[in-house]
Amino acid sequence: MDTLSKKIIEWSNGISQHGKYHYFRKKITPFAFVGPALLLLGIVLLYPLLYSLKISLHQWNMLEQSEPIWIGLGNYLRILGFEEFWSALGLQLSFVVIAVIFELIIGFAVAILFNREFWGSQVARALLLLPIFVLPVVSGMTFRFIFNPQYGAANFFLEKLGLGAIEWLSHPKTAFMAIIIQDIWRMWPFMFIILYAGLSGLPKETFEAAYLDGASKWNTLVHITIPLLKPTILIAIILRTVDALKAFPEIFVMTGGGPGTSTTLLSVHIYKYAFNFWDMGYASAASYILVFIALIFTTFLVKNMYRE
Amino acid sequence: MFGFKEWSVWKKVLFYLVVLAILVVELFPIYMVVSTSLKPKIKIWTSISPFESFKPTLTNYQNILFERSFLDYLKNSGIIAIVTTIISLGLGSLAAYGFARFKFRGSGTLSLGVLVSRMIPPITLSLPIFLLVSRMGLLDTYGALILAHTSFSLPYVIWLLIPFFKGVPGAFEEAAMLDGAGRLRVFISIFLPLVAPGLVVAAIFSFIMSWNDFLYALVLTSSTIKTAPVAVSGFMGQFGPDWGMMTAAGTIILLPVFLLALLLQKYIIQGLTFGGEK
Amino acid sequence: MRKRNLVLLVMAFLVLSIIGLSGCAKKEDEQTYSGTTIRVLVWADAHTEAVKALIPEFEEETGIKVVFEDLPSSNLTEKIAMNLVGKTGTYDLVAIDEPFMPKFAEYFVPYTEWSEPKVLDKKIDLDELVEAAVQGATWKDTVYGLPVNGNIYMMIYRKDLFENPTHQQAFKEKYGYDLKQPETLEQLLDVSEYFYQPENGLYGWGPFTLTSEGVTVETMWVLRSFGTRILSDDLQPVLDKEKAVQAFEYYKQLLNTSPAGKLAFGHPERIQAMNVGNLTIMLQWPGIIPDHENEEESMVAGKVGYMQNPAGPGGRAAITGVWALAIPKDAENKAAAAEFAYWWASKEAGEKLVKKGMSPVRKDLLTDPDLQKEYPWYQAQLENFEIGVNRPRFPEYSEISDVVRTYFANALSGEMTSEQAVNEMDQKIKEILEQNGYLK
Repeated sequence: MDTLSKKIIEWSNGISQHGKYHYFRKKITPFAFVGPALLLLGIVLLYPLLYSLKISLHQWNMLEQSEPIWIGLGNYLRILGFEEFWSALGLQLSFVVIAVIFELIIGFAVAILFNREFWGSQVARALLLLPIFVLPVVSGMTFRFIFNPQYGAANFFLEKLGLGAIEWLSHPKTAFMAIIIQDIWRMWPFMFIILYAGLSGLPKETFEAAYLDGASKWNTLVHITIPLLKPTILIAIILRTVDALKAFPEIFVMTGGGPGTSTTLLSVHIYKYAFNFWDMGYASAASYILVFIALIFTTFLVKNMYRE
Repeated sequence: MFGFKEWSVWKKVLFYLVVLAILVVELFPIYMVVSTSLKPKIKIWTSISPFESFKPTLTNYQNILFERSFLDYLKNSGIIAIVTTIISLGLGSLAAYGFARFKFRGSGTLSLGVLVSRMIPPITLSLPIFLLVSRMGLLDTYGALILAHTSFSLPYVIWLLIPFFKGVPGAFEEAAMLDGAGRLRVFISIFLPLVAPGLVVAAIFSFIMSWNDFLYALVLTSSTIKTAPVAVSGFMGQFGPDWGMMTAAGTIILLPVFLLALLLQKYIIQGLTFGGEK
Repeated sequence: MRKRNLVLLVMAFLVLSIIGLSGCAKKEDEQTYSGTTIRVLVWADAHTEAVKALIPEFEEETGIKVVFEDLPSSNLTEKIAMNLVGKTGTYDLVAIDEPFMPKFAEYFVPYTEWSEPKVLDKKIDLDELVEAAVQGATWKDTVYGLPVNGNIYMMIYRKDLFENPTHQQAFKEKYGYDLKQPETLEQLLDVSEYFYQPENGLYGWGPFTLTSEGVTVETMWVLRSFGTRILSDDLQPVLDKEKAVQAFEYYKQLLNTSPAGKLAFGHPERIQAMNVGNLTIMLQWPGIIPDHENEEESMVAGKVGYMQNPAGPGGRAAITGVWALAIPKDAENKAAAAEFAYWWASKEAGEKLVKKGMSPVRKDLLTDPDLQKEYPWYQAQLENFEIGVNRPRFPEYSEISDVVRTYFANALSGEMTSEQAVNEMDQKIKEILEQNGYLK
């Protein structure tokens, strides 16, 4: 260990000797750990977050050189009766729910499968991570190409399997499927790696004991692995959901939000209002509604995280 | 897990077949990207079968590396991603430990609050962050992007690590504390090695988030520290993408991260043995 | 100290004497720019790539250092907007796409106020440029930028197929007149239907349907050709619903002759389908034509013909898409920026840039016989500029565009009847106009 950390440790040990600060210390210690991160986040994000919250209470077209006009909850009220918003939100939620469920199932299954050392296991695991590393725009463009009815690989394989060709991006339902397939492909390895790391961290002897007790694989999975892994699973779901709620470039590149509005997820909708219509007040309000939904969802999962 | 060595040959063969099948399906789009990057332009359009043979060419790579100074952009991306990862991991693991091992007033709200920055669409935040950075006079500097990226990967790192810290049995901590070790020492010498798998995953993700970021790089930097993703999106072109250059750049971008994932894996395994010792 | 002063003095003397010796007035002017750096932010394509390559020449000639950034257009607009709103003064010269000019105009210096050049002979006279292009840089009778890229959505077709005797004979038998460049929309439909021969891997019309601005342009073209438009010049809704329904129905017929995936055709799909020889006829931007004519990526290079867009019941129409260079009001080096723009728009630079795929807006370039020989579409481009019309020009254009493309797509996909689509489109447009206080 280098001298700096030694010093820090001596220093922290030194402080702990002072009994009279004990109570104070107990209150302050957590903040010593949490504080630096909060400070950095505060410096960088407090202003932008408050700014956009403020803008969401104004009518403000970004490019007009007039001051934003205070309209209170006007933007939020407008959203209440705005069909386009609700349809975009509905699409967004279906997208997230379907994609995250598939990603979780595939990721978990593969994590269990890969949770052993075999020939080439390290390379195989690293290879599985490649899709996450692909730039979203490149991924979107590649899938647009794959889903091309005439030249794309998707129909090439479908035809090889004796199934008919599909005009993927031409029809609302298949286009929606296409953007979900793209997301599942790119992001199940995310679930995989988190769950794999979680599995690696589980105490081995529990499993050995279960094995010796003659518990079936399935029972071990349901009664031991999943409960032990529950916090990690929930965190993986939270992180993935929070990101899927704002998936944007890959979808925009694939479909532009069409055909019609069938793939105009809320994230695309917000982009349209922010950078096409320059209606920052509305876009900010819509964003905060998204944040609100994500918060409710997260709180719900967190509450359940450590409950048996 | 265990028992792999005792498996019968058939079971092993079946296992490898399944692994292979997963890899083939999952890597197919990557194969598309890489093979496209090696194709002459006309082949990109005309290959109906993705496995049609072609004479590979390195023109696209020559183009982006020597004519479009892609290496400079990679260097910028690399510096920003590495610094971001170090800061995020340092501050993030401290904070995750704090959230996981202490019960203090407001800890729930604070940890949720931390995540809010990831919940809000970056499109909405990009304008105020641009204004902030511009007023601080940091436009087009490494610092601006590192700060921005760190602020987005920190919440991720914290949340990712919380369950790993929580998973460490309390007895460890108490024993060490009774030995007279301070909190920080317990954190560094006991907790960090135990949560190594989580740290590795967090490192990979905070690297990749910074490495792949487009919007903030677009908004906060200009020519001086242009990053690789911004350059790639340039290959998306005005009308249609320059497939050759886009996929070549997309392939080059993958390499460092792949190596990182490969290298860092051994620490996940290390975590595994640690877990075994528990 | 004294020693250094002496050195400085000697150096100053040397410099002065060199200037004195050279004695040329132009040289003195150059000095006014030395040390000046301008930052330029433009779209990214072959044209700007070529400009970038020529910058050293400009720098040497003027002493101005140019920091040149290029981005895909949507990102470009975002970045320009943020810099203008944040009043950063970072950029001295930016490129603006025609439909966005009204929204951005008040941030820019009117062209008449641009300073006279010091290195070049004179300001670019806007009469040297095609009129429709200058219109594209105009907002409320004031020109806010210098057009440099003259795109116009023009018809291109497979010349080789049209000249093929077998096709000529078969076509005549079927339709009773000679196979030739379609003069009317009816003939266009005939041609598209005739060449719809999926068994030979050949299709008729190349549509633009993937949700994006391109769909709006396609809609505007067909509406204009049928003699109606969405907004009048004084921004009143003037859509003739009957004609609009006819236009939509007509386009649906064209679409029947298109290849699979026809409801999701964007630029990449169109370029690919044309280049591999699937399409017979379509509208295209001249900026993309060099891709079709490039043997390295196109199987139809040298086989493409160009023409003025055929006439519909409402006459001929072609939609313009012009990029203009504009100087933000908060730019620091306006004079140097103007100098760069003049240089870019000059005939001399243009002669070099066209070789790399620039779509000229200069009449002298478009009419140059040598260039016309080399770039066979210039004549047609010029003819299309003559019938060139802009998309509706007003700040809320993006909202209108979004409505237009959505309902056009709904009509094409059969999700709505053309009547429904036109009615709802008209309704939505009126709402937008009303909300923004344009409705009289």
